[in-house]
Amino acid sequence: MYICKYSKKWVCLLVLTLVFMTRDFSLLWAGERETLRIVGSTTVLPIASRAAEQFKALKGGTFRITVNAGGSGVGVNSVAGRRADIGMISRELSDGERRRFRDSHLTLHQVARDGVVCAVSSEVYEGGVRALTKQQISDIYRGRLTNWQEVGGPDRRIVVVDKERHRGTRHVFMKYIFGNATARAPAARLVTGSNNEEQAKIAQSDGAIGMLSVAWLNEDVKGTGIREGDRVIEPTREHIVSGDFPMARSLVFLTVGEPKGLAREFIAFVLGPKGRRIIENSGYTPMPATTTAQVTTP
Amino acid sequence: MAALSVVCAGTIFLYLLRESAPVFFAEGSGFLTRSDWWVGESYGAGSMIFGSFMVTGIALIIILPFALGGAVFTSEFLSPRWRLVIKSVMELLAGVPGIVYGLLGMSMLAVWVKSGFGLIDGNTIFTAGLLLGIMILPTIITLSEDALRSVPGEYRETALALGLTRIEMVWSTVIPQAVPGIIGAIFLGMGRAMGETIAVMLVIGGLDKIPAPWFDVFQAGQSIPSKLGREAAEAIGSGLHWNALMGLGLTLFLVVMTLSMAGNMFLKRVRM
Repeated sequence: MYICKYSKKWVCLLVLTLVFMTRDFSLLWAGERETLRIVGSTTVLPIASRAAEQFKALKGGTFRITVNAGGSGVGVNSVAGRRADIGMISRELSDGERRRFRDSHLTLHQVARDGVVCAVSSEVYEGGVRALTKQQISDIYRGRLTNWQEVGGPDRRIVVVDKERHRGTRHVFMKYIFGNATARAPAARLVTGSNNEEQAKIAQSDGAIGMLSVAWLNEDVKGTGIREGDRVIEPTREHIVSGDFPMARSLVFLTVGEPKGLAREFIAFVLGPKGRRIIENSGYTPMPATTTAQVTTP
Repeated sequence: MAALSVVCAGTIFLYLLRESAPVFFAEGSGFLTRSDWWVGESYGAGSMIFGSFMVTGIALIIILPFALGGAVFTSEFLSPRWRLVIKSVMELLAGVPGIVYGLLGMSMLAVWVKSGFGLIDGNTIFTAGLLLGIMILPTIITLSEDALRSVPGEYRETALALGLTRIEMVWSTVIPQAVPGIIGAIFLGMGRAMGETIAVMLVIGGLDKIPAPWFDVFQAGQSIPSKLGREAAEAIGSGLHWNALMGLGLTLFLVVMTLSMAGNMFLKRVRM
């Protein structure tokens, strides 16, 4: 507990100095190697990290790529603040962001299509809840429905799982359910952050409802279909690509201006044939053609 | 060295004060008392402040009997060899990173709490408090044990010579002498509990709400550090949201500083 004590103080200082002089620390200061910093949505993260691995192997060289999570909001913020080179975004830019970063010349590069599903614990799905209407989901998040029995499921209380307000998945989900991307969910029992965390909490529970990207569904976490009248739209790849499934979205890389150097090569790699395979393996659908759009600000 | 740390603490304090000033102008004292935190609309940190004190309180209530019992037993009833073993294990445990406790808490403790208390979900204020208790147990044990050991040997000998049994001697002579040191240990433990981020973040549920009724600890909640951990990266440079988080940081800084200072004051009295 008391490492730095009395005469050992100077030894301690010396050791610390040596630690700071080692490779990793000195690299941080000197910036000898070129670094590509990618930050943002955990939905886009699997694509970026797998692509980064292959891109490095393909290109060799001494540069490095860091891929960090945080959510779409963090991605936008970091790129606009020049703390990252590429932002990963899984929703549209909000009006506030467009206003704040009007002069940052943000450029969007669409990478893939993805669907946001209403996810439930497998016990609920097996118990008979295969599809929900928009009204039912909204009633659950408002606290008007509190037992799965009321929507044809087992007699079990509903654990409503919400997400942090800046998460892209939540924007898409709330926009469809409540018509407002930042709507409040008074019945929320838990608030989670990343897709991983949301997936883990829904899987741990036997009566949870939440929002997830389709790529995160598994045996413990099932995606319900959306019932519209007599029709049930399942969250299948076809429905997401065709736009029939109501909660579809684009996964986007964000840069300041037109990307240059390493960032440009990396984005080209992800949009190329190898990148498309990675996207499909990650559970998403690649874009039909390269689509780049400069954000116009009001 | 000492002067340097004072300068460091002072700089951090001034920085937090400057960065958080706008939110106190905008929200007034409501920042500390209201609990409506809606980014872009209003910032009331009441639920996080409540959550922080609640988890720390629960941690202490659950763990104090074990910590004090363990300290007395280690100090007074164990052979010197075993005492050393226990001490080193405790100091080792005190250094285990919070994320390790957090992962264990999320994958095991939360599940046990859920099934043990028949809840609909195990991520609650109580779970976070229990986990924190386990985390600060080694700190409180080793520091209280130090306080007990520092009671001079003559006191014990005199008490035994007067015909007291060992247990009576410990109870009526050693413990009263060590009380300031034990209180110091508790304060330092509280300081660690208040500032713990990741372990709490993983099991508390992340909900910015004071439970209704307020003592229903089997609801999800939020503590100051877990709120900071969840939102800081998103808020950097984004005006009032950032100021509000810095306001949370300032509140936490003041509370933890007070606890540590109080703790060290009591511990110093023992060493004198």
